[in-house]
Amino acid sequence: MPVVTPALASIVFAAGAVAGALGALLGLGGGIFLVPFLNLGFNFPISIAAAISLTTVIATSSAVSAGRAGKQLINMRLGMLLEVATAAGSLFGGVTAQFLSQSTLQRLFGIVAMVVALVMLTRLKRRNVMLDPSIDPGVLGGRFYDQESGGMVTYRVKRLPLAIGASFVAGNVSSMLGIGGGIIKVPILNAWCGMPMRAAAATSAFMIGVTATAGAVIYYGRGQILPILAAAAVLGVQLGSWGGLRFGQRASAKWLKILMAFVLIVVSGLMFVRAAR
Amino acid sequence: MTRHVKERPLNEGGMRRLERAVGVVLRVGVIVSSLCLAVGLVLSLAGAVPAVTGALLQVGIIVLLCTPVARVMVSTVEYVTDRDWPFASLTTIVLLELLASAVAALAFNRRI
Repeated sequence: MPVVTPALASIVFAAGAVAGALGALLGLGGGIFLVPFLNLGFNFPISIAAAISLTTVIATSSAVSAGRAGKQLINMRLGMLLEVATAAGSLFGGVTAQFLSQSTLQRLFGIVAMVVALVMLTRLKRRNVMLDPSIDPGVLGGRFYDQESGGMVTYRVKRLPLAIGASFVAGNVSSMLGIGGGIIKVPILNAWCGMPMRAAAATSAFMIGVTATAGAVIYYGRGQILPILAAAAVLGVQLGSWGGLRFGQRASAKWLKILMAFVLIVVSGLMFVRAAR
Repeated sequence: MTRHVKERPLNEGGMRRLERAVGVVLRVGVIVSSLCLAVGLVLSLAGAVPAVTGALLQVGIIVLLCTPVARVMVSTVEYVTDRDWPFASLTTIVLLELLASAVAALAFNRRI
């Protein structure tokens, strides 16, 4: 158990701010940076790091989605449909985490992150955007005002079973490793399911709160959410995601994809390093 | 900014009401939990009474954990109001999954 001091709380606050800013930019939730930081940098047990991270993931998701609600960027219908799968995955993951080897899962995660990064880099020019607003988006598609294109953007959702499967896996990894799971959902929704990057990221960030809650409740019941550090991390992440969100609206989709792929490669490496210990 | 687009085949008014309701729930949850966590954190670092700061931090964390649950509940109510049964069922399943996670937490808590 880490010894809670004002210095440690300040460091966790700062780490939260950086993770929150990056998370808001990428639609990842921030946990993907916070967990390795707490685990590798400060030798927190992975369960404690995951528990703290999951609370910040909930805060990020709620704050970011509260600001976006009403702008139609979040595809709420698709989000609520996929939440059935992410919450089931998260519940299943939280329970099986007690019986599975962490290092096996970390290696698997490293492989998945690397594959997804490569997919992102090879699909930089795909936009999945139809500027004709009269196109029927279907029951699950969406329509929103895109600043980059300067018009209403319409899209249809393709390959729904793949989106559901990816959501289940994302939920599973979320509660086991303390991340939001956007790292799995966003690239797949964007690359194969026809969603524009921004809508995929917003919808994923929206779902992540429910996903993380299904896992966090289990950690909370076991007393693994250390109150002072969780508070410091949550407040840091709030500050960081507020900044990241302001910046993110001006960043181009291509730039976001390149940055995201780079992040995935780094995370993959970190996962292998951790698994080898 | 507000361009007129062709109406979708679905209930646009209901969807807009749902988005607003969800936004309000999330905003209130974030503000209340952040305030409790901020005051609790500052007081505990300043060395205030542990019982008070501990309670504030716990309330902050519990409100944070309850915010997504409340958001799903509100969505379920909105979908039922709109008689959108497929989505009312889906959000009910999500609520049951969250309940199952609380049950799992209690089970693990008792075993350890």
